Amino acid sequence: MSPPGTLFVAGMNHRTAPVALREQLALEEEKIREILADLAGRGHLEEIMILSTCNRVEVYGVAAVPGEARSLALGRLASQRGLAWRDLEPLVYTVTGEEAALHAFRVAASLDSMVLGEPQILGQVKDAFALAQSVGTAGPVLHALMSQAFSAAKRVRSETEVGRLAVSISYAAVELARKIFEGLEGRSVLLVGAGEMSELAARHLIDQGALTVYVANRTWSRAQELARSLGGAPVPFEQMDATLGLVDIVITSTAAPQPIVTAAAVRAALQARRGRPLFLIDIAVPRNVDPAVNDLENAFCYDIDDLRSVVESNLKERQREAVRAQALLEGEVAKFAARLQQLEVVPTIVSLREKLEAIRRAELERALARLPGSGEETRRVMEALSQAIVNKVLHAPMVKLKASSRAGHGRRWTDMISELFGLRGPGRSRPPE
Amino acid sequence: MNAVLFDVALTAYILAAAAAIGSVAGRRKQLGWVALLLTQAGFVCHTAAVILRGIELRRLPFMTMAEVISLVIWAVILVDLWVERRHRIRPLSAFVLPVILALGLGLPTGLRSIALEPPVPSGWVVVHVALVLVGLAALVVNFGGALMYLLQERQLKARRPGKIYYRLPPLEALDRLTVATLTVGFPFLTVGLALGVLSVRAAWGSLMTFDPLALFSLLMWVIYAAILVGRVMGRWRGHRAAYFSIAGFCLMLVTLGAGVFLHGRHGS
Repeated sequence: MSPPGTLFVAGMNHRTAPVALREQLALEEEKIREILADLAGRGHLEEIMILSTCNRVEVYGVAAVPGEARSLALGRLASQRGLAWRDLEPLVYTVTGEEAALHAFRVAASLDSMVLGEPQILGQVKDAFALAQSVGTAGPVLHALMSQAFSAAKRVRSETEVGRLAVSISYAAVELARKIFEGLEGRSVLLVGAGEMSELAARHLIDQGALTVYVANRTWSRAQELARSLGGAPVPFEQMDATLGLVDIVITSTAAPQPIVTAAAVRAALQARRGRPLFLIDIAVPRNVDPAVNDLENAFCYDIDDLRSVVESNLKERQREAVRAQALLEGEVAKFAARLQQLEVVPTIVSLREKLEAIRRAELERALARLPGSGEETRRVMEALSQAIVNKVLHAPMVKLKASSRAGHGRRWTDMISELFGLRGPGRSRPPE
Repeated sequence: MNAVLFDVALTAYILAAAAAIGSVAGRRKQLGWVALLLTQAGFVCHTAAVILRGIELRRLPFMTMAEVISLVIWAVILVDLWVERRHRIRPLSAFVLPVILALGLGLPTGLRSIALEPPVPSGWVVVHVALVLVGLAALVVNFGGALMYLLQERQLKARRPGKIYYRLPPLEALDRLTVATLTVGFPFLTVGLALGVLSVRAAWGSLMTFDPLALFSLLMWVIYAAILVGRVMGRWRGHRAAYFSIAGFCLMLVTLGAGVFLHGRHGS
């Protein structure tokens, strides 16, 4: 009889281990595939999956003795780079059972990420699981864990704002534009100066549907170049003030020592816009836009510090949302635990049913052999009779098993039933196919 | 019976207002749904109450000031539900429902105290009341939109996003809402008031008769006309239009208050 396995997660992340160590343990797919197969062959791990990103290296597994299994798995990973397990051990966290499930859900939902709510991690977890599946090291427990983790992550994304608010300067600018304008489709943008960050912000705006991009730069060739790469039009630097009246969003990033966008120019532009708002994003230091511009009606001017403070308050908002997300995930863990308990009794139910079915078939054939000359009618009756007996016998133990799994002591009954009916390999080992 | 139903509807609106405010302040989506359900439930009760009142009193149920206010509220809720569904401006209720409450708190007594039979109205008076009602409802929502506009504008200007910033729709959407409600509400108000003036000539004999409700109504009309003209001229978008919307709304409150508390030809 194989002992029951426990779900565990062990590893290190951006909080417990320095990047110098994490980068050594980050492995490419082929290597992980090899290690998975190797570990599965050693018999300590019933199931295993390895998640390796630049911020974490984690082993998700099911084993009778999690402590031993994690040393084995992480030791194997460490040896890949000539590291010893005992050097890593102080940096490694290990969680088991429901805590492990909660950890897995937090990782998938990006609550455990360095940038709270960043979207890439879910894809990375999915890839890691797909890899384990293709090697054949993901069994029923990891399967249940991951499918629950994916749906939990989806719920967190749709029901909380954890991943929704911008946490980079250039995205924060786009998000602000969306709070001023109703949709960015067809908006026009003026880029003054050709900085990297302003180009990035312009690209985000174009991705969101902004249509016309004008580029004004002191160096005409650079303006042409950038305009071409953004699919826009270059504008002579002297005509910048006139162009202000044509656009909805202005992004400035020149190295000019004094403001080049004056309040007077913006006032004229606003008049031309007949009261429609104008959004100015000033990424330059020293500032390119006269601070007095923000006092003009319908003009909204954000400098680099303002954008930073928006990012900060977005992060705080994400953290507040993370508290809600955590509560949601705790509910998902309870669901998972119930599912796992069901999982615990399913193999026993299957093997019990198969055993009785085998007996029924054998006895039916023997009985029919002793009745030569019996017709199709006799066969049908005996078939139905034996089937009915098996079903009646099975009914009570099935109900009992399911009820006890819900009550949390399914294991006791699967053991007892396996013993009574002489079933081979109860519990979590997979039924014969 | 109808008065009891009114109370039920009003209670539902009060709870809905609390839930709507909670959903904006506390960032809870579930509370938003609660608010919507309560508003819809209240609206159903309210509709039933109005019809029942008509049947019980055997006359049109908008002949006294309290009844008219009740119908203004009814129409506001209708417009609010429509805007939330159509334009997905979810937090609108949090700004409109409290107004309803301010208007509606006098209703429970108002609806019960009237035992007198009001004079049988002419058909034109009925149309006058109905048109003014629709106009006022749209303008109450206009006020809600203007309030949200100013709040959101303040947040954006301050460049330090607060809690409400995350919940409110974009500035332009709010501006569009105020334009839409003004362009719908104003024609109704205009035709409704014009009919009122004409029927006054017929019924009271002179336009010069002092009536506080009529007087304030005209003042209110002038304000809304000014906003519309300002918008058409392209000068009063956004910010300024929003302030005038709020001024217009305050005058509307005064107008309705005058109708209830000052005794003029409209009766109390």
